[in-house]
Amino acid sequence: MNQKKVFYLTVVFWLLIFSGFILYKEYTLRTGTKVILKTEPVDPRDLFRGDYVNLNYEISTLNLEEIEAEDPYLEYNDRIYLALEIENGYGVPKKIYKKPPDNELYIKGTVKEPIYEYREEDDDNLIPEESRLKERRVVEYRRIEYGIESYFVPEGRGLEIESQQWASREGIDVNVVVDKFGNAVIKSLLIDGKEVET
Amino acid sequence: MFDEDLIQKWLDEGTINHNQAEKMRADLVEYKKEHRSKKQVNAFSSIGAILIGIGAILFVASNWEKIGNTFKVLLLVGSTISIHYAGYHFKYENQKYPRLGSALILLSAMFFGASLFLIAQIYNINANNSTLVLIWIIGVFPLIYGYMSTPIAGLCSLLFYLWIGLLYMERTGLENLISVKDIYLISGIAIYFTGILHSLAEKTKHAGKTFKFMGLQAILISLFAHTFKMWEYKVEKIIPVIYAISGILLLALLIAKPLREKSRSFHADISISTIALLMALITLTTIYMPASEKVYMILFNVVFMGLLTLLLYAGYNMEDIGIVSTAMFWFILLIFARYFDFFWELLPRSLFFMFGGLVLLIISIVLERKRRELKVQFSGGEE
Repeated sequence: MNQKKVFYLTVVFWLLIFSGFILYKEYTLRTGTKVILKTEPVDPRDLFRGDYVNLNYEISTLNLEEIEAEDPYLEYNDRIYLALEIENGYGVPKKIYKKPPDNELYIKGTVKEPIYEYREEDDDNLIPEESRLKERRVVEYRRIEYGIESYFVPEGRGLEIESQQWASREGIDVNVVVDKFGNAVIKSLLIDGKEVET
Repeated sequence: MFDEDLIQKWLDEGTINHNQAEKMRADLVEYKKEHRSKKQVNAFSSIGAILIGIGAILFVASNWEKIGNTFKVLLLVGSTISIHYAGYHFKYENQKYPRLGSALILLSAMFFGASLFLIAQIYNINANNSTLVLIWIIGVFPLIYGYMSTPIAGLCSLLFYLWIGLLYMERTGLENLISVKDIYLISGIAIYFTGILHSLAEKTKHAGKTFKFMGLQAILISLFAHTFKMWEYKVEKIIPVIYAISGILLLALLIAKPLREKSRSFHADISISTIALLMALITLTTIYMPASEKVYMILFNVVFMGLLTLLLYAGYNMEDIGIVSTAMFWFILLIFARYFDFFWELLPRSLFFMFGGLVLLIISIVLERKRRELKVQFSGGEE
């Protein structure tokens, strides 16, 4: 193969990668459903892309006792489809599926490590001695990753956004668009319901 | 290439006359001058390309808000294609600046990565994502063969190590399976093996030396990390199997006579296959008879010293100053590390630093002198 062909093939290959990448995300943004998700942000830095806000959604930690699951046995790195119900614009978890559900709005995620919380059983009738010995119940949560856990901001703005979050009354929400295949893309960050300008 | 001694020998034997000897000497001086100048151009253009590439990545990282996303993408993708065309033009069409052309092709490969990260930044794809680095590798890897590009082989090796690191951080389950030192040691052996495979075929041998060099560095770094007394050494059953397979594959390649003859660094290759097999043995023993941290520290120091000695021997045999310099560098680093380990508690601080500094100065003088002698010897009088 001569070098001229190599040059043209490389340019076509690279442009295909760039446009494929852009089209994949644009498809979600243009055809998906808008959902608002509640978060708790912090501010780290990426090696190649600079400052970002690390987003930890309420749906990032699922309580398996509270949310109905098609199959309760979730292994590390399992693919799940979390059906969402929209309440006042906010996406609220409805049911966990192992296969994409029909006719439901769902977001695609990957199961990460389990989180265990030890809760003490509340019982007002227990006498003090007994209350000291009251049983501790283990509540199992699962951390889920949806691929929308980072929001990139201009250099130095991360800390600013973080301080705004502490000062805000309602915390930070994220405008997310979810397409029919469960792929999600972040559209914007909301502080007290107002879009953050970056 | 002939050298001064050979010309003198031919002159003494009467094979050539004085005029011919003078002509050969003049040509030799001219050749060496040109060779040196080519090396300088290569070094300057490659460093320039790397600096501009880093600048492009930092530009993406700054996430400059004064210009819109669409313009930024067009700017970076446009620059990537233009730089790539300029590299192709200077190397193949114009042919007057082939080295500059190669450096520009390397720069376009770095810009390709920067553009990719810019798009990922715009769409807020998760930070420290290993898949993006994998796409970068897939995008630039074919250029190693398409343009016979050695620097891109180096870039791909670096990106491979980065990908492994990010993957290791992403998949928390990997921590229980393999230690970070072992994963990089296996990666280094894999890259070195890729280098051997490349050096066997005429069309790919340009990348062989780079892959071997990059593989060797990862092997040495991870083995060096093993020489410290750290936490408990835990091994899963799959690890000795991976080491054994890589060692056997390397050995199988080197045992086959036609392949062995094609390999120009047989002794170094054998050293790496020995390390792989030795690691298989060590990790296998660790599963059934785990030893104390101190035992592993002593064992890995011996293994590391052994590898450096083998490499020095290989370097002398192959007259390869690169391997000799690499081995000497790691030898100094090892002495330095062990000096701190053993004497930090034993000697008073002032004496510790003064004595240590003196010893290192003496070692560095001896090693530098030896290295220079070797360089002169290997290059036939050229320094």
